[in-house]
Amino acid sequence: MEGPSSRVPSTQHGGLWPSGGRDLCEETESDPARDMKTHFRVCRFIMETGVKLGMRSVPVATACVLYHHFFERVNIHAYEPYLVAMSCVYLAGKVEEQHIRTRDIINVSHRYFNSGSPPLECDKEFWDLRDSVVQCELLILRQLNFHVSFESPHKYLLHYLLSVRALLNRHAWSRTPVAETSWALLRDCYHGTMCIHHKPQHIAIATLYLALNSYGVELPVGERQWWQVLCEDVTEADIDTVISDLLQLYDMEAKCI
Amino acid sequence: MDRMKIIKRRLSMSLRSARPVDDSLSELAEQMALDEPSAARDNEPMVVCALHPPASHSAPSFLRQYAGHLGRTALRREPGGGLERDRAYLSIVHENVKMGSDGESDQASGTSSDEVQSPVRVRMRNNHHRRISNEDINKRLSLPADIRLPEGYLEKFAMNSPPFDKPMSRRLRRASLSEIGFGKLETYIKLDKLGEGTYATVFKGRSKLTDNLVALKEIRLEHEEGAPCTAIREVSLLKDLKHANIVTLHDIIHTDKCLTLVFEYLEKDLKQYMDDCGSIMSVHNVKIFLFQLLRGLAYCHRRKVLHRDLKPQNLLINEKGELKLADFGLARAKSVPTKTYSNEVVTLWYRPPDVLLGSTEYSTPIDMWGVGCIFYEMITGRPLFPGSTVEDELHLIFRILGTPTEESWPGITTSEEFKTYNFPRYHAEPLVNHAPRIDNDGHDLLSMLLQFEAKKRVSAEDALRHSYFRCLGDQVQTLADTASIFSVKGVQLQRDPGKRSSAYPESSKSSKIQKIEVKKQGMRNSQWEHSRE
Repeated sequence: MEGPSSRVPSTQHGGLWPSGGRDLCEETESDPARDMKTHFRVCRFIMETGVKLGMRSVPVATACVLYHHFFERVNIHAYEPYLVAMSCVYLAGKVEEQHIRTRDIINVSHRYFNSGSPPLECDKEFWDLRDSVVQCELLILRQLNFHVSFESPHKYLLHYLLSVRALLNRHAWSRTPVAETSWALLRDCYHGTMCIHHKPQHIAIATLYLALNSYGVELPVGERQWWQVLCEDVTEADIDTVISDLLQLYDMEAKCI
Repeated sequence: MDRMKIIKRRLSMSLRSARPVDDSLSELAEQMALDEPSAARDNEPMVVCALHPPASHSAPSFLRQYAGHLGRTALRREPGGGLERDRAYLSIVHENVKMGSDGESDQASGTSSDEVQSPVRVRMRNNHHRRISNEDINKRLSLPADIRLPEGYLEKFAMNSPPFDKPMSRRLRRASLSEIGFGKLETYIKLDKLGEGTYATVFKGRSKLTDNLVALKEIRLEHEEGAPCTAIREVSLLKDLKHANIVTLHDIIHTDKCLTLVFEYLEKDLKQYMDDCGSIMSVHNVKIFLFQLLRGLAYCHRRKVLHRDLKPQNLLINEKGELKLADFGLARAKSVPTKTYSNEVVTLWYRPPDVLLGSTEYSTPIDMWGVGCIFYEMITGRPLFPGSTVEDELHLIFRILGTPTEESWPGITTSEEFKTYNFPRYHAEPLVNHAPRIDNDGHDLLSMLLQFEAKKRVSAEDALRHSYFRCLGDQVQTLADTASIFSVKGVQLQRDPGKRSSAYPESSKSSKIQKIEVKKQGMRNSQWEHSRE
């Protein structure tokens, strides 16, 4: 993951973002590994922007899901990923009813790419940028064919956490940050396309599973495993797949540095 | 089954022992408590599923109790009004983290939990109005640095990690922004304008492909804000709803100036239908319409979609007598607005008393009150509670159904909203007095719909099985979703007594659109104001 210092500040006038996935070379052939890294970085951007805009977890997640769905359908070189990301944030705000103004999105993004710089003037460049965000939102709607309401794993995870807490003794629970960790793991799932390739329930179960395992927390064993009690259709294989997808993301993050 | 009992026992034991509230849990619980009412009653579709995993029925109820208890003792609110509930997601973790770093539980833990938690803490702090430093935000993924991933996973991961192997769809690779907007508008011939609404204009049209009539809903996009969120919501929901009693969305056309939704065309709405037959509908037809309304609604509710804006103007009727729910712009929204985009008043006539009194626990019963009002209106030819303000609306409701008491509506006397209105004590009048044409079964059903308490209102699914509909036969109960009620032999409309001309006269304007409607309501309100005096 790039820090702000390593990020290429835009030099040309009017450039808001660094040239997305094209910073290495201008070839148009898609390189899955590099594209995946680009998506990873852009999702990072979505999350940071979301945090700065005070968005709730679910709208931020929705923004990432929109982003991944869009680029499942569209080649990454056809559109500026950061612009798409900004529009995803905007659209997610509408879908999840936490309206974010385009102006705020633009200002926050501008600061992201040009740290320390003054906010954009309300000049033509600004208006053009805003039109781009709005137009791109329509493009996303069109590409996704208006399938923009998604079920998110967050509420499942909350319920699962409550159930698991009830199964544990109080000290075991308070000693280990299972809730925080699983929540963080869940958040990290959105860096890659894995968040749209698994059922929300399965993602929730898997993040909880990984958190419990990582801290060595054991749940009482009965005839059925705890996850089968919480979610009927999940199998150990499902959990494994989700976890291995997630670990791949962490692995990539390490390589990105 | 035995297993469940054991779990149940365990749950209840841990409940007892966990009473001394610990901080982190209470925050979670608060979240649950906030979520719970809606969850319990199907509002938030996903929460519902989570609350009722078929395998663990007993657990959630315990949890709910537990959550309720904790929620009360540890209710901590942040300023910020409407967002409170929303923030809860974030604040849970935040509070947890704070506890993790300052709380004593830390010392007890064998791990170096301070380090473990720091990345998380940094992230969460950002959510919490504090100054955000770039450094904070640029911390990497929130996985704790020393997290001990189970070895099995790392092995597995190492074994099967041909990474980045997901090929991308190359379809539409050459698409570009300039391409936005060349849909197939030429497929449809625009005919007369049907009405103008808050964010859209509706035209009658004809499809060149099928020669069928269609309704073209043109959504203007010149707004700086892009596509209106009601439109986004309406389309995303309607695309998934396929039912004989829900209006069909045929096509979406994108042009650069507007977004056109192509709906099936229906001649009129229920309002016009009633007007056209001089407000005297055949009671048999009332039954058929009500059944179709309930069918459509039961389907929506099964799929965890609330309509939330039921009124005769949103129920469209074609020449066969098929009734379809339309206008899903407010469906599943999290709040009921009082004003539309262009500041017109949204009708209150079909809004349940709990919502009028400020309840935000929206779930399926919110629609059922409106069904009752519409049922009454069809039978009698006049609206049941045509209030012009919230207070007026409540006043009308209580005058007919009786001012609620602690017996008729547990908890009402502690409602601040209710107390401030200080309504006179009306006694309930039998609804039959107002609707003499209603039969016993109909009256029974109507009173089940018009329950003050949301949870006591009959569900759409159950209402369909009510004896009022028995005379329609058994077959109507087992229809496929997309089959019309008129596909059942013997079910057909009768001639409405109040009908002036023959067959269905071409009505002037089909006003699915609120603007026109609001005017009518305005007029009517003033009439009623007089008659009440």
